[in-house]
Amino acid sequence: MNLTQILINSLVRASELGLIAMGVTLVFSLLRFANFAHGELALIGAYLAYALSAAGLDLWLAIPLSAVATGFIAVAIDKALFARVRTAPGLVLLVASMGLSLFLKNIVGAIWGTKSYSFEGSLARSFSFAGGFITSTQVTILVVSVIAMLCFHLLLSHTRLGRAMRALADDSELARARGIRVEAIISRVWFIVGSYAALGGALIGLETVISLELGYSVILPAFAAAVLGGIGSVHGAMLGALIIGLAENIVLAIDWSFLPFAFGPLYIDTGYKLAVAFLVMVAVLILRPRGLFQGTSGD
Amino acid sequence: MTDIVLYFATMIGIYTIAAIGLNFQYGIAGLINFGVVGFFAIGAYTSGLLTLAGVPVWAGLLAGALMAGLVSALIALPTQRLNVHYWAITTVGLAEVIRLILLNEDWLTRGSFGLVGIPRPLDAIVPAGYQTAAFCGLVWLLAIACYLALRLLVSSPFGRVLKAVREENDLALSLGKPVFSIKVRALAIGGLLIGLAGALYAHYLTFISPADFLPTVTIIIWAMVMIGGRGNLAASVVGVAVVTVFLNSTRFLKDVIALDPQMIASLRMVVIGLLIMAIVVYRPDGLFPERKKELADGDTHAGR
Repeated sequence: MNLTQILINSLVRASELGLIAMGVTLVFSLLRFANFAHGELALIGAYLAYALSAAGLDLWLAIPLSAVATGFIAVAIDKALFARVRTAPGLVLLVASMGLSLFLKNIVGAIWGTKSYSFEGSLARSFSFAGGFITSTQVTILVVSVIAMLCFHLLLSHTRLGRAMRALADDSELARARGIRVEAIISRVWFIVGSYAALGGALIGLETVISLELGYSVILPAFAAAVLGGIGSVHGAMLGALIIGLAENIVLAIDWSFLPFAFGPLYIDTGYKLAVAFLVMVAVLILRPRGLFQGTSGD
Repeated sequence: MTDIVLYFATMIGIYTIAAIGLNFQYGIAGLINFGVVGFFAIGAYTSGLLTLAGVPVWAGLLAGALMAGLVSALIALPTQRLNVHYWAITTVGLAEVIRLILLNEDWLTRGSFGLVGIPRPLDAIVPAGYQTAAFCGLVWLLAIACYLALRLLVSSPFGRVLKAVREENDLALSLGKPVFSIKVRALAIGGLLIGLAGALYAHYLTFISPADFLPTVTIIIWAMVMIGGRGNLAASVVGVAVVTVFLNSTRFLKDVIALDPQMIASLRMVVIGLLIMAIVVYRPDGLFPERKKELADGDTHAGR
């Protein structure tokens, strides 16, 4: 594979992953737990978008609608589950999110079965571009994701909500004392986080297929991206997603035969793609436990 | 009928060993392990591969347990200093990497085809017709031995330090307790049991493949521990029994209700997920919480 192709594939992967990793890092910095059910929000988003488009809606309508719906679902989940254990220790929240992920995945499984689906009418044309190939679907994914991330950046830096969110992540007691309505902010954050994850899930479904494994297959790379970027930093998570995307594509594309023990060409099996993100993350955790780029609020 | 009862009894015995291993890590030592299935798989494949190569079953079981314990300690050494969330993510990732290795390294694990014809112990010496019963007896003998060993450990000085670390990590550290090495040891001991359970699982079913070791298994064993009660080793068996009977009894439901079996399978897991969440919210210490030793007057403490 040539360099341009690696770059294209990595960028597309990063734009999908970034939308999901950003939610992981936001929930972690505001509510102080790693949400193992986050991948399942992406899963729900993908299936809802599929169901809407299968019902006849245009994709440009189906995907945003699914994002909004998943946003509301995320708020409802918070009210029903996480709000009740808000002050519980981290261990308890982790276990709760683990149970939630099993619950959500199998609700989707009970409704849609174990078949995998793909969006209809997403006929992808392929363009050659600077020595590589890019499909029209991939261009759409890149554009949509960049716009979504830009919107979030503006929200975080230029609105009252964004300011309140940052204050809350920095010091929730102080924020409370300053009259920020914490629970209301948390609900809005869940809405944003849920809809962005759904968007990410739908975009993954657009490029590949929609299956029950979508949530699980994306959660580890998303965690890895969030950890790499320094937990709490949304921009870091996006950069982390780019690094993970690059790592996944480069590691698999390299001929490792320069290693002393190799005889002949040596490629890493594509079956290990999921492991790459994890190994990068573990390496970073051991060397720099607070991520490559200092997050606003680690730990 | 006896077949079904024996099947249930054997499965409950096997999962009890895994569940008390996890309960030791989580309940007694306060350590998260979301990679249970990975250690279960290591035990199963180590023992399965060794016995297929002609090693006696008892040695296979021992090797399976030791290997899982060793991997637990090895992964804990560089990463145990991480906070609980990072550590939880790491254990999930580890289990996934183990599954990918099982799936991709055909030369060793036969990939998705799995291992076929894993020998059952005692088959050679027990007369035909009594073999499943004998295996069930062996499983329960081991389960009881594991339980007694853990009980001994918990009430030993080592166990007291473990609980101290669980309740007040920094306090234990300030008292000069070797907190780090204690955690590594606790993880290794739990891993040992989970590996043994995996090995027994392989010898009971005589056929294993990577499809047996999906992440769902981890959550199911967690559900067993959560239902029984955190830190209460004996109660884990209740959680195991409840979950095992529930998961298997609904298999017969398709004869009663006209539902797609695939849908019933999903709904089973929906219930398990709901159960975990309900316990976390309403009874975070499980149905049978660990009985805490009486403390000095005025010394109230949250048990979680």
